[in-house]
Amino acid sequence: MTALPPLGQPPARTDEVTDQYEHGREMLGVEHRLDAVDLVQLDDDTMELNMGPQHPSTHGVLRLVLDIDGEMVRECRPDIGYLHTGFEKDFERHTYQQCIPYTDRMDYLSPLFNNLGFSLAVERLLGVEVPLRGQYLRVIMCELCRIASHLIWYGTSALDLGATTPFIYAWRDREKLLDINELVSGVRMHTSFIRVGGLMADVPDDFYDLVTDVVKTFPRLIDEHELLITKNPIFRDRTVGLGVISAEDAMAYGASGPVLRGSGIAYDLRKADPYSSYDHFDFDIPVGRRGDVYDRYLVRMQEMRESVRIIDQALNNLPDGPVNTSDRRVAMPPRNELNTSMESLIYHFKLVTEGMRTPAGEVYQAVESPRGELGFYIVSDGSNRPYRCKVRAPAFSNLSALPHMVRNELIADVVAVIGSIDILLGDVDR
Amino acid sequence: MSGARAADLLESELPGIVKRRAEAYGETTVWLDRERLVDACKLLRDHRDGQYRMPLFVTAVDWPEREPEEPRFDIVYQLRSLQYNDVCRLIVQVPEDDARVPSLERVFAGMDWHEREAYDLLGIDFAGHHGLRRLLLPDDWEGHPLRKDYVSFGEPVAFTHNLEWALPEAERPPELPGESR
Repeated sequence: MTALPPLGQPPARTDEVTDQYEHGREMLGVEHRLDAVDLVQLDDDTMELNMGPQHPSTHGVLRLVLDIDGEMVRECRPDIGYLHTGFEKDFERHTYQQCIPYTDRMDYLSPLFNNLGFSLAVERLLGVEVPLRGQYLRVIMCELCRIASHLIWYGTSALDLGATTPFIYAWRDREKLLDINELVSGVRMHTSFIRVGGLMADVPDDFYDLVTDVVKTFPRLIDEHELLITKNPIFRDRTVGLGVISAEDAMAYGASGPVLRGSGIAYDLRKADPYSSYDHFDFDIPVGRRGDVYDRYLVRMQEMRESVRIIDQALNNLPDGPVNTSDRRVAMPPRNELNTSMESLIYHFKLVTEGMRTPAGEVYQAVESPRGELGFYIVSDGSNRPYRCKVRAPAFSNLSALPHMVRNELIADVVAVIGSIDILLGDVDR
Repeated sequence: MSGARAADLLESELPGIVKRRAEAYGETTVWLDRERLVDACKLLRDHRDGQYRMPLFVTAVDWPEREPEEPRFDIVYQLRSLQYNDVCRLIVQVPEDDARVPSLERVFAGMDWHEREAYDLLGIDFAGHHGLRRLLLPDDWEGHPLRKDYVSFGEPVAFTHNLEWALPEAERPPELPGESR
């Protein structure tokens, strides 16, 4: 054994060491590599890195092509479409009722908003008004769905940053909300509960107890979630000042929802263009200031509390009466009428076999989904199916602002920014 | 009444630009020529009475039967003004053999992806777009699925009564089984 030299000094050049050294250089090709490195060129030489589509933090199948310079992202090119299913084409050859289950599967974490947006658009074409009880129940179910969707976002985006605990807690609480979905519609996720002209059915009696339980327990549970993360120094170090987008840029990219509100614009369609009697309820629009990842986080956490407030008011003031419109061209007649009324039987038969015919025309109806402005642009030619239905997906526009947000950030932070946009590839690709 | 603000603004600031306006379901639609689309959008974006700074989407609606009386494609732009809480709709009509409109990606950054999607699914050419490639479908996809003449489902199934229609000559069995059916 040769004795180790003091630190900072080259090894003594015995013949044995020199041989080993030379041999090592040959083996490793060090000589060759040193010649090849051109330090001047390294400065503006970027490497292309492929992230996804199977990357766990891309929340589905999103592929990003990153031009990186060392650890810095110089350019980001999202490649989407891996989950494209052609729902818009499917709409064109299905009747309006048959389209509802398709809408569930677009933004599959907040299916009720898709149901609602589509139903509202068709109802406007038909000129149908849903009774107040139906509208209030729609609001309750949608706000429950918003909390469930935000919980998933909260759990997964924290998991992307290395926090495993919130993920488990978020799933625990979301179960309670899915139980309500199951109770009212029989299905936990793709409920198709909101239909054109009203709802699938009125809610059972247990519904009140379960929702009251949510209203009572969730403020405390959300506190619990916040306790885990909001003041966590690691989380704050990773997110404050990251992925900033100004209000002006957010608008130019068509970003909406928490991304827009995180940048300081208090624009919420529930206030700006109240649909389904949202104007009956008192709630606030949480707004961020800096437009960074942390502000978007704060906005969403606060939104969950506001949703609980809305649910509380809607449940306490829930009117009696029917949930479906009495217009028999649109909603199914009650089952007991079929035994006694010939007209009801005919309407039932026409609805099931032929569907409803809308007058020719075009409408654009937007709702505030957990991700932002979800719009349905429906063109009707007077038949029983949409001639063209364009879905304005919120996550699509929000994701198009991603390259702007991650430019000149670190690779590791791209993950945090994706989480903060709350993309859902089912919504982006449709 | 959403969209009336934009229509009024266009009529007063750029006379003659509005070819037609119609109102239905509380929404005003404005028809424009494609030559003046960029001017109109810049005006709507920058004018202090408009402030339509948020692009909602661009898409096209295919009406193949109405050619040649009217152009085949309606290209639909939907813009939102947060300041005035208003949505406006602009429609540009283009014929099948020249399905081209100027790109708006320099007016609204967010139009980039929407235009690529409309190119991908409907084959509309957005002149001046920096990289008009397919967005949702694979690069080697043939056709534009949201066109009405795109055959998107079903494949011919061979029965004895429709062999000539269902199968190419070479794949047909030489003799049909059975006498008659």
